[in-house]
Amino acid sequence: MLRSSGALVATSAVLAACSSAKPSVARIGESPTTVKLEDLAVTDVVLLRTAMSMETMAATMLTNSAVTGLASKDAAPVIAAFAADHISHLEDLRVLIAARNGSAYSETNTKLMQAYGQPALDLVANGKVEADVLALMHAVETLIAATYQYFVSLTVEPALRADLVRLGGRSSRRSAVSAQLINGGTGGFAPANDKDGVALVATLPGAFGSLSAVQVALGPVNDTGTRATVLMDTPSLNSLIY
Amino acid sequence: MSMTTRRRLIASLLAGGAVVAAAPLFAGHASAADNAAPPHRDAADNAALNACLERESRMVATYRGIIGGLADNDLAAMTLILDHHIAYAHSLKGYLAVEAETPSSAPLASPTGSLASIARQLAALEDSTATIHTDTIGSIKGLDAAMLLASIVTVEARHAAALELIAGATPIAAVGN
Repeated sequence: MLRSSGALVATSAVLAACSSAKPSVARIGESPTTVKLEDLAVTDVVLLRTAMSMETMAATMLTNSAVTGLASKDAAPVIAAFAADHISHLEDLRVLIAARNGSAYSETNTKLMQAYGQPALDLVANGKVEADVLALMHAVETLIAATYQYFVSLTVEPALRADLVRLGGRSSRRSAVSAQLINGGTGGFAPANDKDGVALVATLPGAFGSLSAVQVALGPVNDTGTRATVLMDTPSLNSLIY
Repeated sequence: MSMTTRRRLIASLLAGGAVVAAAPLFAGHASAADNAAPPHRDAADNAALNACLERESRMVATYRGIIGGLADNDLAAMTLILDHHIAYAHSLKGYLAVEAETPSSAPLASPTGSLASIARQLAALEDSTATIHTDTIGSIKGLDAAMLLASIVTVEARHAAALELIAGATPIAAVGN
């Protein structure tokens, strides 16, 4: 009993020393304190709020003056209609969020807007290339479709998965129409390269919806004869709207 | 106090401590159970997935029926979509494995006429196929099958819009507005 008690006391002392908040080793300079991240769950409402942020971002990008100012007479009404579609989806999402006692989110996705939304708009503004308008629209619609497809894998409620796929299907259709506006006719359906070996925009780039980053070349031609490529990824844990 | 009694006391204290220590752990598990992750697959989904497989098999038969009369880019485009539907049927069959039933291979329609006319009829079929799959996503529990169908619907929506354009629809109408 005495031996056991002694061991217990000694162990307690060691553990107490380890748990001390004060550093026991001499240190030069200041050590930043670490703040434990809050535990946040990816719920269905979080996904819906993030979807709202993505739809808002898409509408914001398509109505930006850098885009509308460069759009051709034929493309302008299509771009306006697509932007209006994204705004109408916000109402669909708002209803789905309200049904789950969540709060709607009316801002753009700040992180993704900073990561690639604003840089893409800046490139379009700097390049002043009319073709960039359709290229950007195609990329944005492909991104939104991929976002909804990806969210199916995170959604708990089956009925909501179907609702998300319906919204994603609308963006898929817009993406296909955008691709046809760039490279029209049945010749534009399959992936192909031009005479210089550069990949053309395909209406049907694959049999299954892709979740890889959407790539789009935008802006002015640089010194090496190439253009900046913007990579647009679907939202992830650090860009969800909790 | 006898040695036996002391041991019992220590054992009781240790057991009590273990219960106290384990309580939050169990509580954590209880919380996790409330937000239970959806199942990856569910045998109850098989009937609905077999219906999707049958639909894709019939889409394959429909496209096989029309490509004979096409040429050049039109033939390449329709063959590409045919290949997509073959891939969908294979993927569903692979998912269902031994639970896959032999699907009908009867075409859903026999589109004829100009390319625009054929494309219009095919667009409608693509649309309804995407709707069938989307409704299935809403009814099945298995996450893997839902993800597979979602990746199919994403492209079938593209088929529908592209075919609408070939049929002569305006870009805004082809989106479904």
